[in-house]
Amino acid sequence: MPDDARPTKWPAGFAEGREDRSALLVLSCLRGLTPRKLLEMAARERSAAACLAAVRGGRAGSDADREFAGELDPARIEAALSACGARFVPADSQEYPATLDELADPPAALFVLGRALPVPGAAVAVVGSRSCTDFGRDLARDIGEGLATRGVCVVSGAARGIDAAAHEGALAAGGHTAAVLGCGIDQAYPPGSRALLARIAREGTVVSEYAPGVPAEPFRFPARNRIIAGLGRALVVVEGAKGSGSLISAEHSLDLGREVFAVPGAVHNPLADAPHALIREGATLIRGVSDLLADLGRSGGRDGEPPPVRLDVTLAEQAALDRITGSVLPEKVAREMGLSVPQVIPLLMGLEMKGLVRSVGGRFEPRSRRG
Amino acid sequence: MYGRVVGISLVGVRGHPVVVEAHVGRGLPSLTLTGLPGAPVQDARDRIRPAVESAGLEWPLRRIVVNLSPGNVRKDGPGLDLPIAMSVLAASAQVPGDRLARFGFVGELSLRGSLTATPGVLSAAIAAGRAGLDGVVVPAANAPEAALVEGLRVVAAPSLADAVGFLRGTWTPESAVAPETPAAPVGHDVDFAEIRGQAQARRALEVAAAGGHNVLLVGSPGAGKTMLARRLATILPALSREEALEVTQLHSVAGLLGDGLVRERPFRSPHHSVSTAGLLGGGSSYLRPGEVSLAHHGVLFLDELTEFRRDAVEALRQPLEDGRVVVTRATGSVDFPARFTLVAAANPCPCGYEGDPRRHCRCLPHRVQLYRQKLSGPLLDRIDIRLTVPRLSKQELLGESLSEPSAAIRDRVEEARARHRHRYAALGSPCNAQLPGPLARREARMSQGAEDLLAQAVDSLALTGRGFDRAMKVARTIADLAGSEEISAEHLGEALSYRMSVGEGGLARAG
Repeated sequence: MPDDARPTKWPAGFAEGREDRSALLVLSCLRGLTPRKLLEMAARERSAAACLAAVRGGRAGSDADREFAGELDPARIEAALSACGARFVPADSQEYPATLDELADPPAALFVLGRALPVPGAAVAVVGSRSCTDFGRDLARDIGEGLATRGVCVVSGAARGIDAAAHEGALAAGGHTAAVLGCGIDQAYPPGSRALLARIAREGTVVSEYAPGVPAEPFRFPARNRIIAGLGRALVVVEGAKGSGSLISAEHSLDLGREVFAVPGAVHNPLADAPHALIREGATLIRGVSDLLADLGRSGGRDGEPPPVRLDVTLAEQAALDRITGSVLPEKVAREMGLSVPQVIPLLMGLEMKGLVRSVGGRFEPRSRRG
Repeated sequence: MYGRVVGISLVGVRGHPVVVEAHVGRGLPSLTLTGLPGAPVQDARDRIRPAVESAGLEWPLRRIVVNLSPGNVRKDGPGLDLPIAMSVLAASAQVPGDRLARFGFVGELSLRGSLTATPGVLSAAIAAGRAGLDGVVVPAANAPEAALVEGLRVVAAPSLADAVGFLRGTWTPESAVAPETPAAPVGHDVDFAEIRGQAQARRALEVAAAGGHNVLLVGSPGAGKTMLARRLATILPALSREEALEVTQLHSVAGLLGDGLVRERPFRSPHHSVSTAGLLGGGSSYLRPGEVSLAHHGVLFLDELTEFRRDAVEALRQPLEDGRVVVTRATGSVDFPARFTLVAAANPCPCGYEGDPRRHCRCLPHRVQLYRQKLSGPLLDRIDIRLTVPRLSKQELLGESLSEPSAAIRDRVEEARARHRHRYAALGSPCNAQLPGPLARREARMSQGAEDLLAQAVDSLALTGRGFDRAMKVARTIADLAGSEEISAEHLGEALSYRMSVGEGGLARAG
């Protein structure tokens, strides 16, 4: 494919011939061969086929890899690839996102399912905690929806929690979303996201640097995060505890010179730890999707602001609603309104039924209004 | 050489007169018991001779047969020691017969001949009164409870020698006096006035007390679930004399009675390792009332509901439904009254911190799901009021004023219950929670606003049929508390806030 080849970090003609492509398929299955090692080897050996020969000859890679590479049949991988409907995108193809080349260890090839990968500059990564709060989930959904409405592709990792909510928001808005996997392209991991992944494969893009059949293993997820960071022109961290994987993604984004946004929380909220740490390091604080869109320069977007919802809120309910900021106890609302608790509870109940507040652990908190 | 004495044995919580006959005849010295004695009664055989001899009386060195009649009922409990000893003394002509026939005898003997405190004396005294006896001879320690039975002479005998002295006319007992029943209910050792904050939970408990509703409290460790549950007993209406007698009888049978009448609503909090027999009643030989019966007319608190054995929790359905427990053994079945208010407490998730603003929940989602499946189930259907108790921060606690005292809340509860009794006088239903669902629906008088809200709730909260009935009953109670015959939208709105489905969908608040 010399016609659609474009300059990359890889040596010219690295994956040009059929043989090289088959070799690259085998190389992408090897556990011990990190992209960084492969890149170094490619500089020496010049082509994928030569790299594979080096591995098989014991001149590179681990013993386990040599054994494994000997057994692997590229035709079988090809078959598995077409069985799951994915396509093979080596680093020199036109579909391979140029932004990934900015990584220190770019994947030699990607496996892609569904729509074409987003064009550079038209994607934003949204990441956060798996065990998020309802508040975080709503916010991630809003952000996903807001980005997608304005034609921005939402990139995330398909994990439960914030990831899933961001994908769902984008899908709900009928926009583009891309899920980056930390396992083989044909694996539905995590199992809880199976339905979501199937939907993204149909309506968006699923992408992985791992060939079909590669299992999910802990070390693959931090590696996957660099692709999430690389695909987006910016990264949004919604919620994350201390030591969260979101911090790794943010690290990659900063290395790549991408903008990092973080949604703050209450100072004692353990899930606000990662966003707060990032804000202290210079990430941009956003209070919601409108801040993000304004900063990205897309506030005027395609559809403009969603129309306000008309709800029959009584005056008393509105008064109660005005007093629910953050997470408050019903007796606090009652005290501020000069009412008794039994008088306030029905008001809160009404607001809850109208979807304006939510009860979490005996406290009430506002829900963002959505159209 | 024949003697006849009336003793009283226990079947469950009821006393049954037992005729104890003794025959002293020729043969090698021995004592044989016939007439289906249970293991504790068999025990008496070896205890009685030393007791009689220690009392300075003579044990006939002949062949003695003691028969307990009726012969088809198994006799249990240590209270038959005294009548057996008396029958032998009567058969050997050591006591005169005139008083013997007019008194019942209950009591356990020690080897020194003294009468020790015996469980179930109140039940025995009631049975003696019903059997038309003049009085009962009981251990002195049990005299106050026996004296609760009106019109029955109670002879409080410290020892066997004194009981014999009474029959011979050589010893006169002090007349036992029933403890005074004060007009006002006595104080509990806890009070709502000690609680800061938790206004919503306090309100929910007030509603629970007024309607007799069972309660589920969900909250993080340290939120105050136990503290709140303990105080529910203090706002229930005062025990009536009949109720107090029932409770006293149960506690007496279980051997837990202090002195005299129980005047406070009991609060029982069994540990989660409790066995089914411990919870419901039973035991291998002598059937004891379980925790559900000890909580009769009071509060049964199950802390850490998910830690209780599944079979024990499932077995609670019968008492919750019928207000009694039937314990069946090969020798027959016994029923114990068990009408209690259930308060169950649980953490929101295995680690306990889900929804807590200051601690991070570290549970995996499928473990939380499993946990909640444990929480749900048929027991949950019988819990009308479910709510989450937030863990308050120090600042929040300091910002709250102390609650009103239990007595003030109890006044409102009693008014609401009176309103209920007046409305359903014909049914004899004690409280709203026990109304059958169809009746609660038919009898509900709702304002237009409440009708609208209900229609809305069925849609937006996905209210199920059962959830609907629960909301109606609780709304009825709230209206009773407000002194209103009509259920308004506010009443229904509050009732709807006490719902929470603890199913696979999580602790979502739904039908």
